[in-house]
Amino acid sequence: MYFLGVDLGSLSCDAVLLDNNGGVLASSVVPTGARNREAIARATDEVLKVAGITEHQIKATVSTGYGRDRVEKRLAAVTEITCHARGIRNLFEGAQVLIDIGGQDSKAVRLETNGQVADFAMNDKCAAGTGRFLEAMARALQVDIEELSDLDIGASGAVTLSSMCTVFAESEVVSLIADGVAVNEIVSGLNRAIASRIVALVRRIAPASNGLSIAMSGGVAHNHGVVRALGHAFETNIFVPSKPDTVGALGAALIAREKGTQG
Amino acid sequence: MMLQYFERLASRLEAKIQKDSDKPNARRKFALEIAKLGARLYSGEHRVAWCGVAAPFDMLSAMNITSCFVEFVGAMLAATGAVGTFLEESEHGGFAADTCGYHRAVIGAAIKGVMPVPDVMIATTCPCTGGLAAMENLARTFNKELFVLDVPSSDTPESVKYLADQYKDMFRFISSRTGESLDEDQLRAAMEKSNRARELMVEVYRLAQSVPSPANGQSLANFGIVMALFLGTDAGIEIAQAYRDEFDEMIRSGQSGVPEERVRLLWLQNRIQFKNPLIKMLEQEYQASIVIDELNDITWEAIDPADPFTGIAKRTITVPFNGEVNRRLNHVRGLAQAYKVDGAVNPCHWGCRQGTGARGLIQAGLKELGIPVVNLEVDCVDTRNFAEGQLRTRLEAFMEMLRTSPSAQTA
Repeated sequence: MYFLGVDLGSLSCDAVLLDNNGGVLASSVVPTGARNREAIARATDEVLKVAGITEHQIKATVSTGYGRDRVEKRLAAVTEITCHARGIRNLFEGAQVLIDIGGQDSKAVRLETNGQVADFAMNDKCAAGTGRFLEAMARALQVDIEELSDLDIGASGAVTLSSMCTVFAESEVVSLIADGVAVNEIVSGLNRAIASRIVALVRRIAPASNGLSIAMSGGVAHNHGVVRALGHAFETNIFVPSKPDTVGALGAALIAREKGTQG
Repeated sequence: MMLQYFERLASRLEAKIQKDSDKPNARRKFALEIAKLGARLYSGEHRVAWCGVAAPFDMLSAMNITSCFVEFVGAMLAATGAVGTFLEESEHGGFAADTCGYHRAVIGAAIKGVMPVPDVMIATTCPCTGGLAAMENLARTFNKELFVLDVPSSDTPESVKYLADQYKDMFRFISSRTGESLDEDQLRAAMEKSNRARELMVEVYRLAQSVPSPANGQSLANFGIVMALFLGTDAGIEIAQAYRDEFDEMIRSGQSGVPEERVRLLWLQNRIQFKNPLIKMLEQEYQASIVIDELNDITWEAIDPADPFTGIAKRTITVPFNGEVNRRLNHVRGLAQAYKVDGAVNPCHWGCRQGTGARGLIQAGLKELGIPVVNLEVDCVDTRNFAEGQLRTRLEAFMEMLRTSPSAQTA
């Protein structure tokens, strides 16, 4: 018996396939693009191909992400908050707080000792500080999004971004470039601005968050600079799994296994 | 446009009530009276007062004035789905787009001529300064003098007398502008009706506390705040009586508002006024029932008909939204315990400084009782800002949390 988790996010569609014992057989990350169904099919096909099984051998599928209701062959749809919590707890048993920064929203989740969600908070109104925000900043800096990850290294931290609205921040970045400010200083400023927003989010659910074990998931966790800025702000090392963008799909697959073996 | 809307709505509701006379109809009767009030406001045949939320509507009805708080129009426009054009109009007129949607909508409606010109305007400094600013804008648009009731925040005999004296000034102001005079017998009769409706509403709320509750997510939406408009009238008594009888019968026959109620919720502040699928989703997918709204409560004593000014001044001053947040917090905590809620939903209406400013204190205060709160960040009036997916995710995650988390469930 196999169990599938599908996370249809705004930027990527991720899938994780588990075997009967809960072991991960395969995972995939494909761009969501404009056609949700195609993205779901591609992400699913990839994990099936790697595992060498057919769709008919899947006992249960659980979907998550903003497009969770668009996954047709699902046993259940579960929110990304619950799924990311389950996924991260499977990878890092000691996690007490999870920070998930995805394509268009950011979340802070406080975990119970049993891995259930004790409380959560999401970004207010705008998507500044999320994956889309970083894409816009990379564009303004004329670098690839992956390159942004370590561009802060060596910065003194002298530059502070005054605005976190994506549009205003983009024009501020352009102005700083025009003023001849070093790119690493600008990127460091961006990372600290993102960290500042996330700290505020985490404090809402865990006022005494410094000293807690913090883990991070979502595509933005690939950005080492943002992780460093968060670690600095919380005075701790942030745990980042090797595939942070598939944590939600992993959680969904774990729930699929739980539900699928219940009856 | 609005007169036709209210008249059509009233005749549709009358037909439905007649057709289903043997079925529960309290909500329809409530909606019918709202439609009739709307028609009176727009008919051009009645003396009209546009007011602030805390105006003494039962006293005004004793003076044959059809009165209404202006936010009602904002809510109605949102319910019709046509609010966008009025919001834009107010924004074009320079009213800031990040202020309260209720006020933006009503200002836009006044500019576009969709609000009847009132005979008098009575503003109140409570519950919010935004409401007062909106009334000042409207007074300028209508070229009308504005009478402002300055509601003090402290509950002292001096404060009560200060406000009671203003009511007397208000009547003199209305008389001078409309020619209507205050008949003492009519005022006494209005106070008696107000007290009778109050008694019945106490019963309605007591019944709604039952587990499971006869209330569902829609039955008492906007009830408390709109019932203020019917206090002092026969309609107020009839509506409250209909709810009391309906809830009583439901409890006796073992019916609950939401079948197999599993989750009991407290809704803070006001509802999302336009059509949306969230409440139904909570009921159908999670068997979650909004058993109590923060604005649905009786927080005042019966008014002494021999001294209505003092009683109404005390009623207004002690409304939980007046004064420090702590008063509101204590009220909300009391409701949460009385209704045995599992969690609370705070819409955090955009542009409402009072609502969003108190968000952290309310959340912390309820958490102390073991009651988790989800903050939605929604504009309750402006359909253009409605992010359904984001709101669904917040609510669904909240439901998942309430179902599975031991500490979240320890209410």
